[in-house]
Amino acid sequence: MKITVKSFATLRDHMDAEFAIEIQESATIADLLTMLTERYPKLEGEIFLEDGTLKDFVNILLNGRNIAFIKGLDSILSEGDRIALFPPAGGG
Amino acid sequence: MAVIDGYAGKIAYVNLTKGSIEIQETPADLKKNYLGGRGFGTKIISDRMDPLVDPLSPDNILVIASSPLTGTGIPLGSRYMVSTKSPLNNTLMSANSGGTFGWKIKKAGFDAVVFEGRAEKPVYLYLNEGKAELRDATSYWGLDVHQTTDALIADLGDKKAKVACIGPAGEKQSLLACVMNDRDRAAGRSGAGAVLGSKNVKAVVATGELRIDEADKDGLNAVKERIRKKLDENGICQALTTYGTAVLVNIINENGILPTKNFQSAHFAGAEKVSGERLAETFLKKNSGCFACTVRCSRICEVDGIIGEGPEYEPMWGFGADLGIDDLKTVIQAAWECNKLGLDAVGTPTAIACAMEMREKGYITEGPQFGNPEGIVELVRQMGLREGFGAELTDGSYRFAERHGYPELSMSVKKQDLPAYDPRGLQGHGLSYATSVRGGDHVYGYMVSPEVLGAPEKLDPFVNDGKATWTRIFQDLTAAIDASGMCLFSSFALNADDYADLTAATTGISMDGAALLKIGERIWNLQKLFNIKVGYTKADDTLPARLLNDPIKEGGPKGRVWEREPLLSEYYTERGWDAEGVPTQEKLRELGLE
Ligand code: SF4
Repeated sequence: MKITVKSFATLRDHMDAEFAIEIQESATIADLLTMLTERYPKLEGEIFLEDGTLKDFVNILLNGRNIAFIKGLDSILSEGDRIALFPPAGGG
Repeated sequence: MAVIDGYAGKIAYVNLTKGSIEIQETPADLKKNYLGGRGFGTKIISDRMDPLVDPLSPDNILVIASSPLTGTGIPLGSRYMVSTKSPLNNTLMSANSGGTFGWKIKKAGFDAVVFEGRAEKPVYLYLNEGKAELRDATSYWGLDVHQTTDALIADLGDKKAKVACIGPAGEKQSLLACVMNDRDRAAGRSGAGAVLGSKNVKAVVATGELRIDEADKDGLNAVKERIRKKLDENGICQALTTYGTAVLVNIINENGILPTKNFQSAHFAGAEKVSGERLAETFLKKNSGCFACTVRCSRICEVDGIIGEGPEYEPMWGFGADLGIDDLKTVIQAAWECNKLGLDAVGTPTAIACAMEMREKGYITEGPQFGNPEGIVELVRQMGLREGFGAELTDGSYRFAERHGYPELSMSVKKQDLPAYDPRGLQGHGLSYATSVRGGDHVYGYMVSPEVLGAPEKLDPFVNDGKATWTRIFQDLTAAIDASGMCLFSSFALNADDYADLTAATTGISMDGAALLKIGERIWNLQKLFNIKVGYTKADDTLPARLLNDPIKEGGPKGRVWEREPLLSEYYTERGWDAEGVPTQEKLRELGLE
């Protein structure tokens, strides 16, 4: 199935800003991130701590909803989903 | 012997009607219970003024106050505050600004300046090493903010002097007028510039090199080191250095809460074109910062050979998504025009957005139209000069919409326009808007931080549970930070104990995080009491009907509205107020406000 991925802010130094990607049915966000870090090796250090958990203030949206309030890295993807990846960032 | 406590030690009481100035020592109990900045302004005005005065009359009081942590070399310790009765909405407002002016007032010998009365002719206040003097400002009247600042510094022949002033908008008593300092920093909201204009005060100039020492230098150095490390390591602060606040455009848009076309939608298709990322690729030259700041979030841009400061996130959104405009050049130029004229860079575009919706709906037949950048910069100029169609808009969206019979199209709370976050997808932030003691506002309790950015922890933005408590804590902590002199952005990395440790080492007043929050709570309640006296009730603690009734149409928060209840009742209980939102005697006793 196909999903679209967008990256923002400093992540764009390490990966494309917007693209579609093929992924197996019922893949999770964790599966997607594995694919992405293989494709863009520098991404790993930007979003993950050494223990494999997400860094503080890294936010991932699945169709506009933060995965923290779905099932985190275990959130399941479906055809046509839109993923947005944010490094720590903010303002006011 | 002078007390060594991080304060300059003096307050100047300026009676403009009489042309007299009285200088008094900064009272010890004022320092202890209210710290500085917003605390000083709120307390001095509450003590000295009848809340029912006309805000644009000589009877209103305006306080410019620095703070103990300002200018002490603590990273992000740069702020001063302007407090007065707002002519926009009658609240006891207090607006924050950075730059170097807050530091310089202290080097000039003063913690605060209190203006009362009205000068017969334009004047400016000159502060220099413990002396304060009113001087003729006739020749500066009519100049814009940049011209005024440059001319004052040139005429004084003092490059180290720092200037806070009003622009034409303040002179014309636009209810969107700010007090500006260091050319491009704004004490931006609630119309304080109009109050100075009504008093014929064009500027305050501070100069001098007085030494100000802290109570416990060694202790302070240790705390400074600790917080410097926290700030350096904080991911959000790092991103502020790289992208400035404008990085939020895409973040907020992707979360489906970027108010678009006067809050008719919450997603802007053209966001990328007016985003922080695009700014960095195109017009951005470098970053800059306020006094002693290690984050340096300000943007310096170049457009058509002209170099200017900004834009920040709010005007990027205001002149961008809220007007349906995706032309970045226009957005930057319009934001710059606000600074030059001394206009609120939130309330100015939102007033235009309101007019655009009225035009779209056919309620007015002239005026700007969504999506069309042409004429926007000129309209801002007209607003600053109270000319042409700009004169219609310069007192804000509420007056404009009400005059035409459609007050519900003003996206405001207590007549002050909402900033760049749609609360239909943010229950806590909506509560913060509805209960803010100066009306629609994001810097009196920035619940976006936990609800979107995940700091200090991630809170589900759609959930009501626990939000009353979080909102109260954010509001009180912000009030305390505004009194301390620290930039609010430091709160992405620091907690109440950090601020308390900084304050204790600087002032010698022993305190922990809980005591610091108590000061914030005292300030909040004092502002609330003032607002009750001017007639605000529970009915005003709400949001525009659109945000209560019309669900968001797309994106993550699709189908959502802001749920006033149970949030509001829980919030009043949380605050120790009665069911009508009035502080109980018990609460006032606890805070020493009875
Ligand atoms: S973080 Fe930005 S606004 Fe705050 S003090 Fe630093 S430069 Fe000024």
